[in-house]
Amino acid sequence: MKIHRIYAVVLRFLYLFRRSYDRMSDAFYWPTIDLLLWGLTSIYFRSYMPDASKIMLVIMSGILFWIIVWRGQYEITVNLLEDLWNENLINMFVSPLKFGEWIWAFLVIGVIKALMSFSFAMLMVFVLYKVKILFFGYYFLPIIALLLMTGWAVGFFVAGLILRYGTKVQTFAWTVVALISPFSAIYYPITILPNWAQTVAKFIPTSYVFEGAREIIIKGKISPDKLIISFILNCAYLILSLWFLRNSFNKVLNKGLVKVY
Amino acid sequence: MDILTVNNLTKKFKDKIAVNNISFSLQEGEILGLLGPNGAGKTTTLQMLLGVLTPTNGSVDYFGKNLLQNRTEILEMVNFSSTYTKLPWRLTVKENLTFISYLYDIKNRRNRIEEIIKIFKIEKLINQPMTELSAGQLTRVNLAKAFINYPKILLLDEPTASLDPDVATYIRDFLLEERKKFNVSIIITSHNMAEVEEVCDRVIFINNGKIIANDTPIGLAKTIEISHIELLVKDGLKRTEEFCQKQSYTYKIDGRYIVIDVKEREIAQFLRDLMDKGVYYDEISINKPTLEDYFLQMTRKI
Repeated sequence: MKIHRIYAVVLRFLYLFRRSYDRMSDAFYWPTIDLLLWGLTSIYFRSYMPDASKIMLVIMSGILFWIIVWRGQYEITVNLLEDLWNENLINMFVSPLKFGEWIWAFLVIGVIKALMSFSFAMLMVFVLYKVKILFFGYYFLPIIALLLMTGWAVGFFVAGLILRYGTKVQTFAWTVVALISPFSAIYYPITILPNWAQTVAKFIPTSYVFEGAREIIIKGKISPDKLIISFILNCAYLILSLWFLRNSFNKVLNKGLVKVY
Repeated sequence: MDILTVNNLTKKFKDKIAVNNISFSLQEGEILGLLGPNGAGKTTTLQMLLGVLTPTNGSVDYFGKNLLQNRTEILEMVNFSSTYTKLPWRLTVKENLTFISYLYDIKNRRNRIEEIIKIFKIEKLINQPMTELSAGQLTRVNLAKAFINYPKILLLDEPTASLDPDVATYIRDFLLEERKKFNVSIIITSHNMAEVEEVCDRVIFINNGKIIANDTPIGLAKTIEISHIELLVKDGLKRTEEFCQKQSYTYKIDGRYIVIDVKEREIAQFLRDLMDKGVYYDEISINKPTLEDYFLQMTRKI
């Protein structure tokens, strides 16, 4: 594992970021729109339900934390797509770059972009609504780490699908992560889901994190069990998705990297 | 000394054998041409030599080490350029060369990038995104990328395609100069036979995934017996044509010029026969068979 090769791939995507308005809008424009829509909706609800003082906090933290999951997976899948659209995959792998280094680069760029979007959105929440998310304190660290892990696991799985089936399934890069959002209990408790959906939610690591985040907002503390279960599920999904991605990559090598598009 | 050894390399795709049990080697400082008609297996072979396609059978060894087991170490000393692959198109030329220089951990990165930019005459392009470059400019940037890591072995897929003739000549001279200075070994695929004849020490002809010839360009051309006699006929063009038809010679007429394919050992007799028939010509040139003739003959046979 060589840092300079990981840095090379990260640099390639950072160069792209500053030259690409669509990437900029994904990082800043859409979070802003979400915050405006949901923030104003929360203000409206609060005006009718003065007791629901924490509604703004629940919704804003939900939006902010979902950004982490979204960007974690997005940076893996869309950066892979960038290399396919650019027919650049072969240039990467005729160099000494290792598969593991390529993956690490995706993770690093995922962390950079997730923190960038998250910090921007956090600032926006404060500027627009005077809501401080920093009260999560040291819980931030496990929450962000667990959400990133889920994003990465989804990202690796989708990247594996894209490698196998090419850009004809590229829509998965934007849609698959949304599939887990209803079961993640981002804005509402799991208990309001129908029974079958509650069962599904038990297998979704983000559901424990968002439930935990609401516990912090309401009770000021989080049950460690939730974080532990989420961590175990995330580890299992990460291992499985990485195995699937590696397996897809090997399949691609069997038909030739130039034939993936 | 062999620095690349290919043993019994085979690639099967479902029902098709793209490369069928080929073996060859590349010596230090040698320039080897890989020729063959479209779909012959050249690109598949190149991909296996680069480790981006897993062979069904056989092995590729660079510097005595197996590619699959020592991929990273080997690829630090190898590079590749193809007219048919692209660098990230929204990045500028300089950004592309910079990130690639990190992939290869180039020492004195800035100096090397400046040096390579000068060599390939792309100074005016460095701040342009790849999308704004012409086909010829893209080829030069791809070549710059291929030379950035001081490769010991270069694999070049159609290196001068889409280049203007003067730039193509410059690149060919540069390749020969690099070989002379640094003993770089090069494998080239090209459809430009004159280019292959000029730069390659040896040529491997592939068809249907099999090597059907492995020799010097002159050696391959020599296997063709036919020479081309070009005459500017002053008197007797009709008689010449009738004679060629009678003797079943292949010929081509363009105005007063006629080009006839004649076996080398029959040239003297042929010219005597024309004289006997009262044919007079102002100009004559006898062109020996070339690699292109060999290529055409082999592809016609197929």
